[in-house]
Amino acid sequence: MLVGISLETKQINSVKPIECAEEMSEYLSIIARDRCKRSFSKIFSYFAPRLRSYALKQMGNEALAMELVQDTMSNVWQKSHLFNSEKGSPSTWIFTIARNIRFDMLRKQRNRKEDVCSDDLWPILCEQTPDANEVSLDHQVTMDEIGVLFESLPEKQKLVVEAIYIDGKSQQEVANELDIPLGTVKSRTRLALQRLKEMLKDND
Amino acid sequence: MISFHPNFPDLQAFSAGNCEPAMALMISAHVDMCPQCQQDCIEIQAEMADELFTQRSSTPPLDSQYYAMLSKITDLPVSNTTAPEVINTSIELDGKFFELPRTLRRHVKNTGNWSRLVGKLWQAPVDLGDIGKANFMYMEKGGRVPEHTHKGTEMTLVVDGQYGDGIAKYDCGDFTIMNNTHNHLPHSEADDGCLVFTIVDQPLHFTAGIARLLNPFSHLFFK
Ligand SMILES: [Zn+2]
Repeated sequence: MLVGISLETKQINSVKPIECAEEMSEYLSIIARDRCKRSFSKIFSYFAPRLRSYALKQMGNEALAMELVQDTMSNVWQKSHLFNSEKGSPSTWIFTIARNIRFDMLRKQRNRKEDVCSDDLWPILCEQTPDANEVSLDHQVTMDEIGVLFESLPEKQKLVVEAIYIDGKSQQEVANELDIPLGTVKSRTRLALQRLKEMLKDND
Repeated sequence: MISFHPNFPDLQAFSAGNCEPAMALMISAHVDMCPQCQQDCIEIQAEMADELFTQRSSTPPLDSQYYAMLSKITDLPVSNTTAPEVINTSIELDGKFFELPRTLRRHVKNTGNWSRLVGKLWQAPVDLGDIGKANFMYMEKGGRVPEHTHKGTEMTLVVDGQYGDGIAKYDCGDFTIMNNTHNHLPHSEADDGCLVFTIVDQPLHFTAGIARLLNPFSHLFFK
């Protein structure tokens, strides 16, 4: 059958809303089988304007909305063979395609300025798997190492750091417990952290 | 057995295309593993589609913009159905292969090497492109993550095995969201350990033990 563009256009104009899933399923299978532009124009004229209202709500912008409509309907045209009427209605299938494209667009739109690198998310603790040209293995600070460095602190500093950072006590609590001035707790903490920091740097 | 599911509003937001892409990825992976949520999503989507497409009100006649779009689309070639992209369906650690839910498979090629974090805890970073970063975490039997809390949120999906965190026990397919109200200590006693897929949006904050010492120095390691 020969179907010219002008004929299609006439048909689009005459298309009434079709709510019959069976009829739409039939069009989809014809598209899959014959690449039938006429059947597609039926699907298109029913779904595209309605998709636009979803898209407009989701994207809040006419240009993006029409992009979503176009991408969705392109998928319908190109992937009609993937539609399986036993798994759901054409409406649900097309809705799901639109939803997935919406996620894709959302992803691309997102501003990644506040991007955090994964090394930051799982701080240090990190010991790389041996890599042929990996030399830093010995220089990576591990939990075990920091434990060793901690052990090498002078006893008095260790006590204070342990109480504050490991047991989670406040400096005042530690001062009371050890019966020493708050200022002493503060200076011991500062000294201990400085020392650890230097040792970590040397280690590097 | 799966006992931790995304909550219903999140399933709805996912179905509608309204949640953050990272959340969408996690829910999609959970849905791959969970027949119950799969059914829920199918029903929610069918309802939404119905509401959107079967409205009685007729739409205004198509204008030239639509005709242009239509002819552009029908000029497109048929999709290439032959030779679909070959992708890994599993990841490997130390000779062990873990089968992944469909949603995660396409990210295997962007998964880095395994690193040993501490003791029996392993990590492999996953570059999700526009979505951000994720990690596969593997706890050997007896392995644990130092007790920590989160400034942001931590979404976790159990891909294989079981683990507990002092709050509950989690099985294969379980999905959880942790935030700064939780303080937890994940560990696994499963014979085959436990593989999870996790997305965190802020650095962890260690809350107990020697690991607390890491907090004041964290900036030194962020290089
Ligand atoms: Zn579920």
